[in-house]
Amino acid sequence: MAQMWITMGPQHPMTHGLWTLRVKVDGETVVDTEAELGYIHRGVEKIAESRDFTQITPYCDRLCYVSAMTWANSYIYAAEDLLEVEVPERAEYIRLISAECQRLASHLMWLGAYGPDIGSLTLMTWCMRDREMFLDLLQELGGSRMHYNYPRIGGVKRDIPVGFANRLVAKVKLFEKRIEEYEMMLDESTIWLVRLQGVGYANAEDMVNAGVSGPNIRAAGVNYDARWAHPYSVYDQVDWEPAVEKPTSVKGADCYDRYRVRMEEMRQSCRMILDAIEKIPGGKNTNYSNGDEMILAKAPTRAPEGATGFSNYECTRGASKFYIQGGGDGRGKNPYRLSIRSPMFITIPYVAKTMIGYKVADIPAIMGSFDPCIGETDR
Amino acid sequence: MGMRVSNEQSDSAAESCVAILSKRFGGSDVISTVEHHSNAFKMAFVRIHCPPQHWPAVAKSLRFDHGANYCSMVTGTHYPEGNEDRGWEVVYHLMRQPVVDQKPFTNTVHVASELTGSDIPLEFEILVALPQGDEPSVPSVQSVWVGADWNEKETWDLVGIRFEGHENMHRVLNPHDSPEGFHPLQKQHKLRYHDYNEMYDDAQGFGRKPTDEGRVK
Amino acid sequence: MAGQDENYAAFNSRALVEMVGDVTDEALKATKIKQFLSVLAGRYFNWAGRKSLFTLHLGIKCCAIEMAAAATPRFDGDRFGVLFRSSPRQSDVLLVNGPITKKFADKVVRLWEQMPEPKYCIAMGECAISGGPYFQSYNVLEGVDTVIPVDVYIPGCPPRPEALIDGFGLLREKIIRIGAAPSSGRKGEKPIIVGED
Repeated sequence: MAQMWITMGPQHPMTHGLWTLRVKVDGETVVDTEAELGYIHRGVEKIAESRDFTQITPYCDRLCYVSAMTWANSYIYAAEDLLEVEVPERAEYIRLISAECQRLASHLMWLGAYGPDIGSLTLMTWCMRDREMFLDLLQELGGSRMHYNYPRIGGVKRDIPVGFANRLVAKVKLFEKRIEEYEMMLDESTIWLVRLQGVGYANAEDMVNAGVSGPNIRAAGVNYDARWAHPYSVYDQVDWEPAVEKPTSVKGADCYDRYRVRMEEMRQSCRMILDAIEKIPGGKNTNYSNGDEMILAKAPTRAPEGATGFSNYECTRGASKFYIQGGGDGRGKNPYRLSIRSPMFITIPYVAKTMIGYKVADIPAIMGSFDPCIGETDR
Repeated sequence: MGMRVSNEQSDSAAESCVAILSKRFGGSDVISTVEHHSNAFKMAFVRIHCPPQHWPAVAKSLRFDHGANYCSMVTGTHYPEGNEDRGWEVVYHLMRQPVVDQKPFTNTVHVASELTGSDIPLEFEILVALPQGDEPSVPSVQSVWVGADWNEKETWDLVGIRFEGHENMHRVLNPHDSPEGFHPLQKQHKLRYHDYNEMYDDAQGFGRKPTDEGRVK
Repeated sequence: MAGQDENYAAFNSRALVEMVGDVTDEALKATKIKQFLSVLAGRYFNWAGRKSLFTLHLGIKCCAIEMAAAATPRFDGDRFGVLFRSSPRQSDVLLVNGPITKKFADKVVRLWEQMPEPKYCIAMGECAISGGPYFQSYNVLEGVDTVIPVDVYIPGCPPRPEALIDGFGLLREKIIRIGAAPSSGRKGEKPIIVGED
């Protein structure tokens, strides 16, 4: 049988973003793949060289738009490393709560987009309905449903509103019951199990050599998590465990393991949020005004030449890193070089090679299980 | 709960690594030091200044002797006004992660405080300075880490630093038909409308001039 | 007349239909009934088609998430007839929801050309209207209306799903006015922007 190249082109309902996957098929089996990125390359690294440090935060929200708060936090940690700022503890707790709410919203968006790929349209409606709960909470903090521009260098912009804690606890407790509903629907569905198990094996050492990180690695049985290995924020003071799966094969983790890891991560995020809101210094029902020293520390605005800042942050899709060199225009007001490391930029070529040997119908299942987000890939 | 890699662990890991590297590469221009981050926990990491001709040897030593199994980031920078011997710079960020293949139905749950020796996660930052000129090039480490592959493609695409020995180099983010030699992150390329006058002169059909026309940044 | 097939009767039915069709067409054109009927049909077509807008399944950047949210139970675009189709050959509306880069500009034009008339374009979000926060970038076009004609602009970064549904409402009003005209003939129209009254 002749082999041919099929282009799953930039406009495609299954690719979750704008990239091209060219597959070479021999009948129904995939023989070779090639990924092509760059359709939404905006040049954020170049634009950032003519912006102040505070003006770059909205650009970082728009890098990975599904989990905007974690990317803004990631940039802010790098800027605080560069400018040598100490962050007050209440602000760190608020950042943790907002990042974990965002992680829940992002995993729900993943599940809601993954369900229709496998065939379950109900899952999309359920997940988006629950995601709206967390988007409302983040809207109370940041002001918008998706791009918040919320963290500031030295803290956060505004404190948690009055009554936020009650709404947060009520919604998270409701969501914990909803996770069980999802698992009831999916883990007993033959279609889900047959399409996900035994498909898309990826083992840990290959993944680490290729630069994959995050839930994809934890599905292969190793609990490496930047929240404890390269610690930042107050993750060592709240009650949680990294979510790690036991792979079912010596070949590594399949799509089902990656799905289970994210469900478990959602549970751990709920646990973290409930614990953090109780332990927050200053109390959960007090509201400090903007710029108060409990939530925002004074930060310098200029970085001298030769100073560098680096942050290693556990985003929802992997480890996102920022490397900033100071000493740019405006006598150091702008960065000289802002370099962004996106986990998906490295993972997508790796995923393209994982698909070799499976059938064409397995392509959406494998692609979706690695949770691609093209906004951060193309920067 | 309450588990994280402590400062003592990361300090000891960084210092033992620097000791081994200094003993091995001490005579040449490879300088390795232990640095600390400036944010809250002030964790230690290893910073290495390495000239480009020694870079493949250092990379292999880091990978096989020190266990740096994760190449996370490759950054290229252009310094047109820098020193004679630092016109371009490539910064590699590597990490050591305690990751091993698992037997089926098992997982490894690390307890952070019990990690010792080469299991402790560690960050490496390697700065390779290249001399001034129009043809910067660094030996490629594509064969050492698979993760360096697309990072090097992106660095060439955006900054223009060539990687010798890199197979299948092509543009990844810019369009494939970009002009030869167009590397946007070099400092001679300016952004559109980088001067306010230029921005307000091109009205884009809005048909209205702002009240502070004529202001220069 | 019965040229190729000897098995059939002397009058080949296909040739008969063509002949009758030509004669009727000439008669209708002469009495201007055809023009009247086509205007009537066009108005009927607009009225019927305005509430059934098949949108192309194109997700470029962040506004695509708000587009997806507009299809979900809280905002529910489906009750307004907005249905997403995967192929440009089957869709009426091209909803551009992100910045157009130089690499993608050719593909957007190709998608637009593949859509059959009558077709409409909605520019959603700042990046599609004018380049947005990336207007200075070396790779981003300053708005999608530099390459294809746009009917409705929806400002916002990202616009709320209610704004997107309002944009579809304004597009429906525009369709009733001028719908069946081919898209290149709509140049003189004032642009419609959501939020300006």
